[in-house]
Amino acid sequence: MAGENSINAFFNPRSVAIIGATPKEGKVGRVIVENFKRRFKGRIYPVNPKYNEILGLKCYPSVKNIPDTIDLAVIVVPAPIVPMVLRDCGEKGVKAAIIISGGFRETGTEEGRRLEEEVIRISREYGIRVIGPNCIGIYDNWSGVDTYFLPDYKMKRPPRGGISFISQSGAFASALLDWMAYNNIGVSRAISYGNKVDVDDVDLVEFLGRDDKTRLIIMYIEGLKDGRGRLFLEKIREVVKSKPVIVYKAGKTMRGSRAAASHTAALAGNYDIYRAAFKQAGVIEAESFDEIGDFAKVLLTQPLMRGNRVFIVTDAGGIGVMLTDALTREGFEIPVTPDDLKRELREVLPPHCIVENPIDLTGDADDERFKIVLEKVLPKPYVDAVVLGALPQIPGMTHKFIDYVVGVWEKYRKPLLVIDIGSEEAVKFKVELENKGIPVYESPERAARALKALYLYSKHVLRDNR
Amino acid sequence: MSPREIIRKALEEGRTKLLEHEAIEVIKYYGASVADAYLAQSAREAADIADKMGYPVVLKIVSPDISHKSDVGGVILGLRSRFEVMDAYQKIIDNVSMKVPSAKIVGVLVQKMAEPGGLEVIIGGLRDNVFGPVVMFGLGGIFVEVLRDVSFRVAPVSIEDALEMMGEIKAAKILDGYRNVPPVHKESLAKIIVATAKLLEENPEIESLDLNPVLAYPDKAVVVDARIILRKG
Repeated sequence: MAGENSINAFFNPRSVAIIGATPKEGKVGRVIVENFKRRFKGRIYPVNPKYNEILGLKCYPSVKNIPDTIDLAVIVVPAPIVPMVLRDCGEKGVKAAIIISGGFRETGTEEGRRLEEEVIRISREYGIRVIGPNCIGIYDNWSGVDTYFLPDYKMKRPPRGGISFISQSGAFASALLDWMAYNNIGVSRAISYGNKVDVDDVDLVEFLGRDDKTRLIIMYIEGLKDGRGRLFLEKIREVVKSKPVIVYKAGKTMRGSRAAASHTAALAGNYDIYRAAFKQAGVIEAESFDEIGDFAKVLLTQPLMRGNRVFIVTDAGGIGVMLTDALTREGFEIPVTPDDLKRELREVLPPHCIVENPIDLTGDADDERFKIVLEKVLPKPYVDAVVLGALPQIPGMTHKFIDYVVGVWEKYRKPLLVIDIGSEEAVKFKVELENKGIPVYESPERAARALKALYLYSKHVLRDNR
Repeated sequence: MSPREIIRKALEEGRTKLLEHEAIEVIKYYGASVADAYLAQSAREAADIADKMGYPVVLKIVSPDISHKSDVGGVILGLRSRFEVMDAYQKIIDNVSMKVPSAKIVGVLVQKMAEPGGLEVIIGGLRDNVFGPVVMFGLGGIFVEVLRDVSFRVAPVSIEDALEMMGEIKAAKILDGYRNVPPVHKESLAKIIVATAKLLEENPEIESLDLNPVLAYPDKAVVVDARIILRKG
């Protein structure tokens, strides 16, 4: 097994050769040069025999002519020429190559398959680690490696942050990156590996697991390579001890091709086995696109949840009832408020407020009432998490609410989620709260699912570290 | 014979399915408790085995060419005496010879009848291309066949994993007993699941297997029927 250093070259190269670079507008080979020029601090060498210079950079006819060592080659030439340029890379001593070009096994043609096998042979011969082919490669928010060939004005680049993701699909990776940029979600590194002739999910998850810039990993998987499942499970189990991994498994409904000579073989769908493996590894499975973001923000910001008892505090009775249903359906306990807490709440609340769980502060509440109640509820040992149903429409609610809530939360460090439904004003509350580390959801159901993700992750970590 | 020898012999004879007594021997080797079963090659031998193990017994045809034994009159249940066993032996041989004249008959399996009151479960295993050995658990009968109510784990599995996967099926509450039915002994089932995973890990020639049914009682669990499929070539 190649060591982590060979993978590291993909993310932290000192020099990069862009083979197939071009000055032509609208071409992949140009966008990638622009990307590197914008952010990359290392040395950039365009390669194309047709040009002497591209976008102000000296251009070389072959990677072999570059008077420098090359840590990373990015290859965007047509598939039939890829073996040749990869061989050049090998002779040059390049140890890492991202092959963006398509036209390989994914075409289903004999020629595509042959070319892919040649790529594999050459990479083994020279010991070159390969990402791709048929991929969009790497976006690294720290080093500036950016082979995502989608122009900056079409795909926004997100701010730096703790989320890294690995995606079999390039389209999904770029859409997710753009969406994260729009929602101001911080990203560390994003990798799309396409046909994965060499570097695959296992290598990448291991690298990101050790990467201290990555605090949470999102994976989009269609299928793992044959024989890699067990190693995948073992690596992720290690990673999950220090950071959460969210997986979205696509291709759930694909039929297995298993010959069914036994009951067991007939009953085992591919997805059933993936699900079992995810559970064993302690991976959190997102079942929809919405859940990826919903889960990520709670897992990234909230401390571990130590039990399943949830208290609800709301200014809207209806939201309290909806939350009770949604949380109960996910298996949470909504305990009756114990007498000691009831007494304490009675002392500080007007008589018309309801001190049962859900605790209803009613529509005449002001933002300070939330703070007073949270101060009483959050530290109690029988409270494992609090969900606030905080509708901003009531007259007494101002933006002071944010500091009040964040202040109490920082003091007691227990999982806290907020439901906030509405128009511009509600969106403002959401943005301010989320900037301070409190995840906000637009529906009780989505909040309940997200809390469940936190609960399952916590349970796994607490059990494994026991 | 050891599992290794049993498997090698089957492959040498060009069989991709172990005979029932072979499968039972393999399972037993891994420590799963199995309803006693021995191969008899004459009516007298069958009767001697039955005398030794005690009545009632069941007789089943053993042939590499027959997979649905009952359909060809190859199974006779509830035999209570030496005389009945000898008579049944001959009847089975006659039935099979008539219905499937080409079938090679290895002999007849004599097995102790299971005690009444057991809950039927299925424990299975298979080798997945991506994950390797995988085990399965479900309740027998309609739960598996109609509702596909089963759970899986990738090997290796611990007793704790096995207990967890038993709790995952939708009908899990049935294992805990209901009305006058006492709960089953889950640890015994878990041991069989763990044995199944181990068996798959140590014998790469095994493609898949069914222990179906396994009968679960308040104090034990017993494998009654086993099918082991080998990979070709």
